[in-house]
Amino acid sequence: MVNAITCLLRKKIPGETPSDDEVEKSGRELRAGIDAVFGHSLAIRELDTGSDNATEIEINALTSPFYDCERFGISFVASPRHADVLMVTGAVTHNMAVAARKTYEAMPSPKFVIAVGDDACDGGMFKGTYGVLGGADAVFPVDVKIPGNPPTPLQILAGLLALMERARVKGRER
Amino acid sequence: MAEREGGDAWINEVLCDVPANRIITGRNREFYVRPDEPEFMASVEGLALRKFVLIGLFACEDFSDRSPSTLFYVFEKKEHILVLVRDVDRETTSVARQFPSASWFERECTDGFGIVFDGAFDTRRLFLHEEYPDNFHPLQKSFRNGPITVKDGIDPGDEYAFRVVSGEGVYQVPVGPVHAGIIEPGHFRFSVIGETIFNLEVRMFYKHRGIEKLAEGRQPADCVGIAEAVSGDESAANATAFCRAVEKISGIQIPDRAWYLRTILLEMERIASHLNDQNGMLIDVAFPLGANQFSVLREECARMNDTLTGSRFLRDTICIGGVSRDINKGLLTGLAQFLKVFRNRYRVGLKIVLSTTSVIDRFATTGTINKPLLRPLNITGPAARASGGKVDVRVNHPYGIYHRYARPLNVLRDGDVLSRFTVRAAEIMDSVDMIEKLIEEIPEGEICGRGTVADGYALSLVESPRGQNLCWVRIRGGKIERYKVRTASFCNWQVIEHAVQGNILADFPVINKSLNLSYAGTDL
Repeated sequence: MVNAITCLLRKKIPGETPSDDEVEKSGRELRAGIDAVFGHSLAIRELDTGSDNATEIEINALTSPFYDCERFGISFVASPRHADVLMVTGAVTHNMAVAARKTYEAMPSPKFVIAVGDDACDGGMFKGTYGVLGGADAVFPVDVKIPGNPPTPLQILAGLLALMERARVKGRER
Repeated sequence: MAEREGGDAWINEVLCDVPANRIITGRNREFYVRPDEPEFMASVEGLALRKFVLIGLFACEDFSDRSPSTLFYVFEKKEHILVLVRDVDRETTSVARQFPSASWFERECTDGFGIVFDGAFDTRRLFLHEEYPDNFHPLQKSFRNGPITVKDGIDPGDEYAFRVVSGEGVYQVPVGPVHAGIIEPGHFRFSVIGETIFNLEVRMFYKHRGIEKLAEGRQPADCVGIAEAVSGDESAANATAFCRAVEKISGIQIPDRAWYLRTILLEMERIASHLNDQNGMLIDVAFPLGANQFSVLREECARMNDTLTGSRFLRDTICIGGVSRDINKGLLTGLAQFLKVFRNRYRVGLKIVLSTTSVIDRFATTGTINKPLLRPLNITGPAARASGGKVDVRVNHPYGIYHRYARPLNVLRDGDVLSRFTVRAAEIMDSVDMIEKLIEEIPEGEICGRGTVADGYALSLVESPRGQNLCWVRIRGGKIERYKVRTASFCNWQVIEHAVQGNILADFPVINKSLNLSYAGTDL
């Protein structure tokens, strides 16, 4: 038996935290980008419009101690009304189309959309079939596409870096 | 093994009125029986009395010369599998009153094929939501897969009719399809009295992508990727189920080494899925200290999977005939070392969780599933084993080399969230032991059996991390004519409506997570 009190009294960081050079490097660049472009924090709302759930698992992995993306200024928020970015996974099914549009409409402007995974990018293997409208760009404008089946957490971080560039350009256009 | 006429003694006993020449033994030692229409309902009643479980019901067109559509009713009891084959026109009778698990199956057949079931107690659409046009049935052969035009708007009268629950103090809480976390979409309609859930109705199929139709007309080898897309964290299980069906049809022999490698991947997938689930359950009771123990191990498993196969989800490795890439001795030794460390670290995490009273307080007696619900709804996997169900495809219908390696079942009786957590913990330990043994005993040799794809049909069952996955494949002219897949989640979703009753709304997330249900694998 482990006494719960010993857990509470232990140092807050027990032993070593998992660390990964590539993650640290992407994270530092992302931190700088978010500080400069999004005023120190980036709020992301995740929206699954028809994925096979592998992409959700990879996005979830970003919040695990290995990546701990909050320290780079990223938070996944519970409502689209709090979000700067909509992260879409999966081809957009007919059954999700209304909910997807409503989610997008609920976001405050300026808003950005990232399509994560092959299916969200262009419909992937479901392109041109009866159940789907296509990729995320079939229902709203998409700023960044991150291909992969599914993309790894590192590739998703790289996609977020690409968004920083895109947001800078969009900001100048405005 | 080809089909042959006649059955075993047990089947003649169960179906005493059906002549032996109408019984065919399938390629998986399942029996296909074609009763006449008057005999059919009598057979169904007889199977219900003998406590068989309806584990699958699906349709296929152009199977018989006698009618346009044929229905397959797959029944299971212990190691016996019996398929009743029923030729139907557009209309037939429902068996949902004898076998409640038939309700969603029949609604699925109605949407897909336009077959109407008389006497069904629920005739609402299932995977085709309101916006789909009337008289549209995508699985009919006459429909060629392609973009369709859906309805522009939906009249209030055509909206989905949820069960009406009313009374003093009852109010409705609609949740979803878009949820607060990073999870898949589905709608939950709670009827609540105070904080207590009085009734729940789930509405799924928001993610219906048309997986089954997508496979039709393709070369079997091109469909392994489609099987992997059924549900991302069950990629290896669904790929194995599909490949095994094709291999059975074509008589392709799988080399021993390939089965060892497949089994290692299947068990790695189970470990990762269970860890993900345990992590989620602990987040839902606000215990990140415990959750992070498992989420770190989960990420390490994903990285190990990547090292072994080049995919964090074990994709592109299982293929028809065996596996497409070998895992060399060095990598297997690395895996054995990883598991040795893993086992100790997992035990530490488990101790932290199980000695924390706030966790036990939330887990124990929460979301109880009573054993009598298991059979009527075909509940399988850890959810069933935590409620006293002795079901596991690896033990009941062993495939590959599981007859040599499957471990005794871990069965608990309380049926609450705590039992489901504990059963998963025991299964993780068993999987670790099993993989270590497989690495010790793996033979050298070929990794992929050769053979040409033949025409025919076969049923295949696989134990995915979530339970029993059923797959039925028919090949015609060398191409997939029908790919039916029914994941464990499809059936297990229906038990959540019972599990939450009398619980407080705030416990719903942890009950949901403890059942570890796949939306993608249900919605197809």
